Amino acid sequence: MKVRSVKLREAHKSSSNGRPSLCSILWDHQALNFVTASSSDPTIAIHDPLLLSSPPKLLRHHRDGVTALALSPNSTCLASGSVDHSVKLYKFPGGEFETNITRFTLPIRVLAFNKSGTMLAAAGDDEGIKLINTVDGSIARVLKGHKGPVTGLGFDPKSEYLASIDSTGTVIFWEIQSGDALHTLKGIASDSGLDLSARNVLSWSPDGETLAAPGLRNDVVMYDRDTAEKLFSLRGDHTQPVCYLSWSPNGKYMATSSLDKQVLIWDVERRMDIDRQKFDDRICCLAWKPIGNALAIIDVMGKYGMWESVVPSSMKSPTEDVPNLQSRNGFLLFTEEDQELSTESGSLSDIGEDRLVESEPPSRKRLRKQSILERDLDEDGSNELISPPKVESHKKAHHKNKGNTDFVSEGQTNKAIFNGAKMQEAFQPGATPAQPGKRRFLCYNMLGTITSIEHDGYSHIEIDFHDTSRGPRVPSMNDHFGFTMASLNEKGSVLANPCKGEKNMSTLIYRPFSSWANNSEWSMRFEGEEVKVVALGASWVAAITSLNFLRIFSEGGLQKHVLSLDGPVVTASGFKDELAVVTHASHCLPSNDQMLEFRVFNISNGVQPLRGHLPLTPGSYLVWFGFSEEGQLSSYDSKGVLRVFTSQYGGSWLPLFSASKEKKSDENYWVVGLNASKLFCVVCKNPDLFPQVMPKPVLSLLNLSFPLASSDLGAEALENEFMLNNMHLLQIQKQIEEMSRSCLDIASLDDEIFNTEAAQDRCILRLIASCCNGDKLVRATELVKLLSLEKSVRGAIKLVTVLKLPNLAERFNSILEERMQNESKGTMQTNFPNSNGNASFKNDIALSKTSTSTERSVPSVTDLTLSSPKLSAPLFTKKAKTQVTTEKPELNHTAMVNDVGKVKRIEEVKNAGKLNNEGEAKKAGEMQQLQSHPPNNPFSKPLNNQEKKTGEIDKVQVQPHRPSNPFLKSSVK
Amino acid sequence: MAGQSDPHLSLFSAEEVEFMAEDEMVEIVPNMRMDPLNLLCGDYGPFFPQMVTQVPVWLAIALKKRGKCTIRPPEWMSVESLTRILESERESQDSFQVLPFHYVEISRLLIDHARDDIPDIYMVRSLVEDIRDVRFHKIETSLESFEDARSSAVRIKNLSAMEVNIVRPFVGRALQAFYKHGSPDLVPNPDKVPNRWQPAADPVQKRPLRKR
Repeated sequence: MKVRSVKLREAHKSSSNGRPSLCSILWDHQALNFVTASSSDPTIAIHDPLLLSSPPKLLRHHRDGVTALALSPNSTCLASGSVDHSVKLYKFPGGEFETNITRFTLPIRVLAFNKSGTMLAAAGDDEGIKLINTVDGSIARVLKGHKGPVTGLGFDPKSEYLASIDSTGTVIFWEIQSGDALHTLKGIASDSGLDLSARNVLSWSPDGETLAAPGLRNDVVMYDRDTAEKLFSLRGDHTQPVCYLSWSPNGKYMATSSLDKQVLIWDVERRMDIDRQKFDDRICCLAWKPIGNALAIIDVMGKYGMWESVVPSSMKSPTEDVPNLQSRNGFLLFTEEDQELSTESGSLSDIGEDRLVESEPPSRKRLRKQSILERDLDEDGSNELISPPKVESHKKAHHKNKGNTDFVSEGQTNKAIFNGAKMQEAFQPGATPAQPGKRRFLCYNMLGTITSIEHDGYSHIEIDFHDTSRGPRVPSMNDHFGFTMASLNEKGSVLANPCKGEKNMSTLIYRPFSSWANNSEWSMRFEGEEVKVVALGASWVAAITSLNFLRIFSEGGLQKHVLSLDGPVVTASGFKDELAVVTHASHCLPSNDQMLEFRVFNISNGVQPLRGHLPLTPGSYLVWFGFSEEGQLSSYDSKGVLRVFTSQYGGSWLPLFSASKEKKSDENYWVVGLNASKLFCVVCKNPDLFPQVMPKPVLSLLNLSFPLASSDLGAEALENEFMLNNMHLLQIQKQIEEMSRSCLDIASLDDEIFNTEAAQDRCILRLIASCCNGDKLVRATELVKLLSLEKSVRGAIKLVTVLKLPNLAERFNSILEERMQNESKGTMQTNFPNSNGNASFKNDIALSKTSTSTERSVPSVTDLTLSSPKLSAPLFTKKAKTQVTTEKPELNHTAMVNDVGKVKRIEEVKNAGKLNNEGEAKKAGEMQQLQSHPPNNPFSKPLNNQEKKTGEIDKVQVQPHRPSNPFLKSSVK
Repeated sequence: MAGQSDPHLSLFSAEEVEFMAEDEMVEIVPNMRMDPLNLLCGDYGPFFPQMVTQVPVWLAIALKKRGKCTIRPPEWMSVESLTRILESERESQDSFQVLPFHYVEISRLLIDHARDDIPDIYMVRSLVEDIRDVRFHKIETSLESFEDARSSAVRIKNLSAMEVNIVRPFVGRALQAFYKHGSPDLVPNPDKVPNRWQPAADPVQKRPLRKR
């Protein structure tokens, strides 16, 4: 939609206290002048629409605010009513004061001339509507019947009826000749009460067939002229009662203003609104320009404005086909002022004459009607011809518009535009789209920003670090290439531009921030190829081009690798040694789903550890892609779902955040990064999808949460914490595995795992409490088995005892006992390894026991390692320990089922199996070689089954080796 | 100051009140990374660049002086909310709008030390001053009810530290006077006219107040 704004100018000072005042605006019949008045200003202003800047002609005759204005239909006479109780007449357009035509005892609210201008109706807070003969000022009639102040008057264009409405919402149809109230419609409009700036109004359609009045449901209701029956209503987007309405001169359109400060333009025939505008203040009066397509408006602050071309040019002009009734008295079609003047002066009893005239020339009337009909037919014909395509075009325009907004919003994020099923375009994570005259982000990450602003011909690029105390100071640079892609890390920045024609080739520039050599900046040019995405990591630079080449450069600019990717690139991100690239796997699905694939390269090792499909919310596209602070691969899509990669289940993506669950619909989250528990993003108020460079965006921290189903427990927060803790434990464990593989010190991670376990136990205890409260006892026992510390199990027992669940406490106790037994057995065996008479076996047990016991009590680690001298590597025990943490659920479960001895065996089996599996436990490996028997153990099967039931986490790891374990058989038999 | 004539009535100087206000919390956006500060008065931080944290005003100002952060002016210090408060202050003669207890001091401190972080600083400053003046005036007028309302209690809600500090000497004295002149007849009876007139002597005390 074209954004139109009506410029408002002040005509009348608003009242000093800023209260809304009732203002009026009127056009003369030839649109040569318009008149404004305000209830807080005693002056009346006559403006020239062509010379709006020149001061208006002011009439200062009232002693108090002017509440009502009326112009005789031929615009020779202006009437004004005021709070000072008087009604004055002026010559128009000269403005000479003529007479005080009448006085009231209370303020005047409304004035109306009849069609011939011979009669003026005035009403207000007084009881009764006065009908005044304008010629001699005599009061023809006083119409009494309203219970409240009369706020609206309307002479029917055929001058048979007068309609009036009061502030309580009652409408009365008066027959002018007799002065009888024909119809009284009570309470059809809202009761505007004593707020004098909001009044009930009514208006006859120009053909006189319908009367429009505000309804009770923020609508406009049409009443039949003769029967006063409700015909239809215009109901739309007004959210508050209508306070003014005005028919277009031809009666095809209507302008309504409402207390909600909106002005709506209606197509009356189609009963729908065609345009609207919202203003700062309530519009209290509207007037259609009698010639031309414009609407004069004035608000309660005394500011007026012209709304030009109100009705779209595709539709009929509001002044086309003005009903001929308007040429008063039916004398001649083309009567002008002179004629009217004569009628005005000549008709003392306008009513009778009117009647006469109307009945007098029937032939002419019919003729006229015919002509109208013909014209109407013509119109209809042309309408039929024209309107369907018009509607079409309108729709199309609308659609196009929508497309455009889509385009804008998506173009804004510099990302895919999908009309139909379109593949998402390449983007740089953390970049905002170009905006003319504004600085934009080329790169925003947790470290700093690269921003660019275009001046004429070149851009100005600045690199800033968030941490001003640590990051290097980088001088700003002028860029003649027009860089649109950038990436930043601690060591340097890489910038690239797309190719623009043949002359301006795609170029890649790397700028290290500090280097011992002088000129260590380097650049690459690409002929017939265009850089699409750049990424930066520890001592490598990657660029992915339009030819689907992944080019890897060293920090010094050496071209190290060129790989061919198997799809057009979407985005890429680097973290230390790892480069993650997202490409299109195939064309989009017809359902608009992007088919994306990700792969992770380890640049220093030259391997590709991960590869797979990148999941997205249906119908969305990728918005951000990168690594968390800990190096977890993460993605964020346009529907606001954050996913983090996990190695669980053979490598899957966990949805860890959903913008829709945040319950703040007016906010958009522009993701910058994340760490283990928080998402870092810039919060943008709708409809902004991305932040501006100035003012500097502030990062908000949002909690990660799984999109959990609402469980009957009602403890989603706890369940979420539980799952997050589990995930962290897994992550740390994986890290420990990796670090121990590379023989690094893992003491700090041990502490971390201990802390996380403690936190997890606290969380589980709270979950148990809520389970007990919710009477979910089975779930509670499951949870107890997940506790890692013995202390916590005791705590759980205490808890259920306090909660008076003896039966549960018993169960918990038995679980604890089994657990203790396991431990004691374990230690016993470690203490008396010779009882088994098998040296290697002893070793193995020692190992598994140490693992279990270290887990429980840290000091024992040293003891046990001492007791088993062969196990000299502390790494080893630690490793085992971490495994045990995850095994526990299984152990406990089996412990329940089997007798203790069996459990012990299983434990051994598992440990051995696992260690074998890792290929790290050399001892175990050796043992296996020494005694490799076929898996002929009859018990191993059922055991396995049990394991299967319980095995949750490392089933996959354990299983393949279990049957082949030599000790199983020996110990069972 | 009214209270200075009487050393027994405790009165804080404006600086002292400001000092106390420095313990209020404000939001800052640090531009450096720093570990949490474990201080006697509490633990603040950790600080990450571009991430909002809450610290006491004194710490915020100390960091600001070193160019380590930007201070985010509190919500109520925006032009819109101050305008709204000023309007409603002016409208209701009896009630006081809810403002932070140390609004005078905090706004003063932030305006002095974090000029570049406050949008429309001149507007904000004049609004705060206007609000302060309106409220001080209101306090004076409401204290006059000691005189006419024949009661020994005045109930004023939502007073701020600075305002309390200003009325403290007068109120303290007035209450002492009430106490001295006998608790049995706090409900004034016509026999003890002089009693009732005792507080009326206080306008002498009030004069200097009005100048502020």
